[in-house]
Amino acid sequence: MSNRTRIITTTLLFLLIIPFNLSAITAEEIINTMDGMQTFDTSYSTGSIKTTDRFGVKESTFKAWSQGSSDSLIEFTSVAERGQKILRTKGSLYLFYPDAEELIRLQGAALRQSLLGSDLSYEDMTEEKNTLDDYTVRLDGSQIVNGHDCHVLTLTAKTRQVAYPIQKIWVDKETYLVWKAAYSTAQGRLLKEMEVLDTIVVDGRTLPKQTKIEDKMKRDSSTIMALDTLEVNIPLDRKIFALENLTW
Amino acid sequence: MVGRRLLCASILIGCFLFGIGAAQNPVVEMNLLSSTAYMLYSQDLMQGMGMDLKISLLSENSGNVRGEVAFRTTYNSLVPTPITSIDDVIYKAYLRARFPSFRLTAGKTRLSWGDGMLFNAADILYGSSSVSVDLTQAELRSKTDWMINVNYPLGFFSFAEAVFLPSMTGEAQDMGVGGRFYTNAGETKVEGGYLTKKETTRVHKLYTSLQGNIGPDWYLASSITIDQSNPSASDIQKSWLISGGLFHMQYLSGERNLSLRLEMLSRPFGTWKFESQSEASCALLLYPEVVYSPTSTLSFSLRAILSPLDFSTMLSAGASWSVFEGFALIANIAAPFGESGDLFNWDGASAAALTLGASWIY
Repeated sequence: MSNRTRIITTTLLFLLIIPFNLSAITAEEIINTMDGMQTFDTSYSTGSIKTTDRFGVKESTFKAWSQGSSDSLIEFTSVAERGQKILRTKGSLYLFYPDAEELIRLQGAALRQSLLGSDLSYEDMTEEKNTLDDYTVRLDGSQIVNGHDCHVLTLTAKTRQVAYPIQKIWVDKETYLVWKAAYSTAQGRLLKEMEVLDTIVVDGRTLPKQTKIEDKMKRDSSTIMALDTLEVNIPLDRKIFALENLTW
Repeated sequence: MVGRRLLCASILIGCFLFGIGAAQNPVVEMNLLSSTAYMLYSQDLMQGMGMDLKISLLSENSGNVRGEVAFRTTYNSLVPTPITSIDDVIYKAYLRARFPSFRLTAGKTRLSWGDGMLFNAADILYGSSSVSVDLTQAELRSKTDWMINVNYPLGFFSFAEAVFLPSMTGEAQDMGVGGRFYTNAGETKVEGGYLTKKETTRVHKLYTSLQGNIGPDWYLASSITIDQSNPSASDIQKSWLISGGLFHMQYLSGERNLSLRLEMLSRPFGTWKFESQSEASCALLLYPEVVYSPTSTLSFSLRAILSPLDFSTMLSAGASWSVFEGFALIANIAAPFGESGDLFNWDGASAAALTLGASWIY
């Protein structure tokens, strides 16, 4: 093969590869876009957590504020838990029980405690949205979920500090909404399943309005977390995420 | 009868002041319990009913002013306790106002200083060293008091607070005053505080408290009391309290979990002898607690207060089943074990008791 032929062949191959490189999205890019879609400068929401078991439905209502990817505050408004608050900031989780005027800092295994007997844990409720800080990610292909074309990704924890060592998630290729997730132990034992039942479009982004969570360790139990209102990018005082406000 | 009149009067006053009908969701907590007790000393078998009732009227949590009035009364036909003043049924009555740089709380409420479920040397406000507690209760310490409290934030996770305890005798020299500082040093919470108040004489109390995580959560506190009129070194040594605790939650297969807690209280200059102990000078006390939850609504607990130096103990075993929203069934059995004169014993009014009941919040 002459030099000229080699140059032409190499150029053609290079030109053929460029479109593939341009169109192929990496797993990390999907996760970053997904996190970005779920993260707002600020947000305020109200909603409910309904847990169904053999004896009926238990419902707790809440108000929640968030800022960026790691600050969130939840205040329960239902009768049995009224005034109880959870503050999550980078690396710390605080609980406030108004009846005992008691401020508790949760650490370690206590973060995995069930929240009000539901299928959600404190960790689930206030999770940070910097997924790539804690997980490595692999793109496994595509699947249709509830009529939506989704990327299928497997996330493997980098540290032991996370609640779920393995996560399999189905991310909408168009909206980057996580329609479905399965959370497992490092040995592959299924711990929880999550499925989005209804969505809401806010600020041009599709977000979960109603989510079903099933703790696979519990029998005959499921929890539906529903948002009644959601406002985003609203002015919020930074002091909302301080201990002073938690104990107010 | 006087007690009932006072309770009714308190509730009527509450209704008048806050308008229960118009109140924004009053919260009622009700525990109804049936107790059967056996007293070995007198060999009496007794049976009675008990009740713990709390009605809370909380203002809407918005704006810069809020408040709460809560009435609480406990009645047990086996050990009737007369209500002697309206203060006995007012559990909380406070106003709280948020100013631009500080927060003011005035009225009857609670401040929680330090950490510890049963033993907490840092609790210099109410004292958390007594073993006269009801181990069948979910919350072992819940005393409230009249106070004025100013909380001054120092950044997002630190604050200083001052507390003024008004005189309840009408004499100005009986008032109390104190303060604490709360911050985080890396992964460790650090607290320190001071309080002076009139007990039998005027005393000055100092404490420090730490909390962190090393796999299990841990907490440690130390306090001393100095008598103003006679500040002798030996009395200060005798007042020295050290408390500490470890808490860990272990997740088992299925939805089962096991929580383990071990607390200790030590008086380093107390009576370190293997003989009968008195509560005031007992050198070492332990509080182990095991709670096993086979499901998220059912739990079995085993709690004990151990006095290792005289080998006596107060033991309690219980079960709680949260059947419906806010409604739970409760069963408990508690008994002291020890010889005559020990910290826990079968002398006098000590009894083994079986309690069955239900609690409801609505």
